[in-house]
Amino acid sequence: MTKVRTLLVDDNRPFLILARHLLASFVEIEVVGEAYDGEQAVRLAEELKPNLIIMDLAMPNMGGLQATRLIKAQDAPPVIVIASHYDDAAHREFVAQVGAEGFINKRSYENDVIVIVRRLLKEITDA
Amino acid sequence: MPESRVLVIESDAARADNLRAILEFVDFRASVVADAAQIAIAEHRPQDWLAVLVGDTDLDGLDGFVAWLRRDRRHPPLIVVQARHDALMQRYDLDPSACLPLDMPVRYGQLSDHLKRAGLLQMERDLGARPGSGPTGNSAVMRRVRKLIEQVAAFDTTVLVTGESGTGKEVVARAIHERSARRDHPFVAVNCGAIPSELLESELFGHEKGAFTGAITARRGRFEMADGGTLFLHEIGDMPLSMQVKILRVLQERSFERVGANRSSHCDVRIIAATHRNLEDAIVKGTFREDLYYRLNVFPIETPPLRERAEDLPLLIDDLIRSQEQAGHGSVRLAPDAVNALRRYHWPGNVRELSNLIERLAVLHPRAVVDAAGLPRRYCADLPVGDGVAPVTRRDAAPAVASASSPVAANATVHPLTDPAASLAALAVLPPEGLNLKDHIETIELSLIRQALASSGGVVAHAAKLLNTRRTTLVEKLRKYGLTRDDGDDGEAAVGAAVAF
Repeated sequence: MTKVRTLLVDDNRPFLILARHLLASFVEIEVVGEAYDGEQAVRLAEELKPNLIIMDLAMPNMGGLQATRLIKAQDAPPVIVIASHYDDAAHREFVAQVGAEGFINKRSYENDVIVIVRRLLKEITDA
Repeated sequence: MPESRVLVIESDAARADNLRAILEFVDFRASVVADAAQIAIAEHRPQDWLAVLVGDTDLDGLDGFVAWLRRDRRHPPLIVVQARHDALMQRYDLDPSACLPLDMPVRYGQLSDHLKRAGLLQMERDLGARPGSGPTGNSAVMRRVRKLIEQVAAFDTTVLVTGESGTGKEVVARAIHERSARRDHPFVAVNCGAIPSELLESELFGHEKGAFTGAITARRGRFEMADGGTLFLHEIGDMPLSMQVKILRVLQERSFERVGANRSSHCDVRIIAATHRNLEDAIVKGTFREDLYYRLNVFPIETPPLRERAEDLPLLIDDLIRSQEQAGHGSVRLAPDAVNALRRYHWPGNVRELSNLIERLAVLHPRAVVDAAGLPRRYCADLPVGDGVAPVTRRDAAPAVASASSPVAANATVHPLTDPAASLAALAVLPPEGLNLKDHIETIELSLIRQALASSGGVVAHAAKLLNTRRTTLVEKLRKYGLTRDDGDDGEAAVGAAVAF
């Protein structure tokens, strides 16, 4: 089975540990790297060529919105899902505008993340 | 966006602690200093903070800090305690939208409104919106756009800006606002297509406490935030019909109701709307109200696609690099062969695509000179092979246009080209009599799409992979060229097409 090569981006290290732990239980997902701010994410996306990036919004230095824009400018860009505590109309508006494909409220991360990844996988098999 | 850190400048320790506690209670991180002179500005950028809360503090230190902050035209707003607000706004000659008053004791509603507005400003900045004097370029089409902006700015006329995605419709709207009598009042933008439709009404008009589950406090909408200023309704063509009728009413009566309110509020707002859609087609399809269209289309402005003004490219690149540098976001230079490659590219994402590319290069190659080989591959796909002396072939009978369209650079960097691209290189030569660039490029694009569809048995998702494009993009193009049955098969189902497993 082809695994979804996934890059995780968050400045909150304990959250990354939890996310890795959670994602490890899904055979579809292979976490290939971690970045701790938007700038690192732009570099690692170019270097590791992941299929999927799950990224926080509010990070020091460069945040998730700007990083999404810059990653989407690379050749064959990955799918980007934003995971954030800030879930209101304004945040969803800006996330959609920068070209991210999905939005996960961090409060329901545990349930939603695999639903989104499976949906992507299904669409690829169907295509 | 960068993290939600609020800088508090307050010399009274008890009050500073109090402000920190309030901010942390509403989920913001606070950095507190007693005197602005303590801030090591060499180690910071103005964007490191979402907002700067100013209490009782020494003015000498504050003077230097505010001067530094103002070097970034999109600096975070100051939130100043009411007693000192007017004096400081005058002292630093700040725009009212950049200097907000805070009542003491702190009222939750007011502080959260201010922080929300600061959050919107920060997200707009991260979106790549640039403050400035308006659209850049010396081409005839851009000079015409600037003339229209000058003509309409002074009046409260409703303006409809149309043009492809990424052509700078918001830049036009901001330029109109900044040249109008409303310039000292807020410019508030809403992307109607990006807000889930069930949230749009309360986002635009606000809501009363208890209007729906979760409405624990009353909240102002974007119309109220824009009071006295300009409201920019972006992607109005994507607005659901149920909301269109409410916007029509605001345009006719200048009044609206918050969700859950039983009285109307008056608003003094200039409306500028924009869309990349053809609204006349939408009227025929029944997805856009004709009466609203006439209300909006009082003064139409069309922003031209970048491929129709390739001569503006060098100027745009300089302008983008300069504003990057001014905002402290690093710098980069492009070698002549890179600029030449970019001039030959067809820019489906227009100026926004160019702006994202420049910003990306500045992050990946700070202070370096990037040549054509350092650009993402798609920008070099049609570079001439070898020494660039490809035979002059004229494949279409488009009328000759003697414009300054992209000349072929003899010294372009050689790249390994795939076969179709190599055969196309012959097409990328400008005949002596010139050609119609747009038609020429469309002919090439159409031919490639047909080939991709043929070799993928007509399966759009597979053809999209062959063309290294998103399925949704390809579906749009098929529609444009009339190559599809319009079965409404788009939307996010195409997400997977972009993933290369």
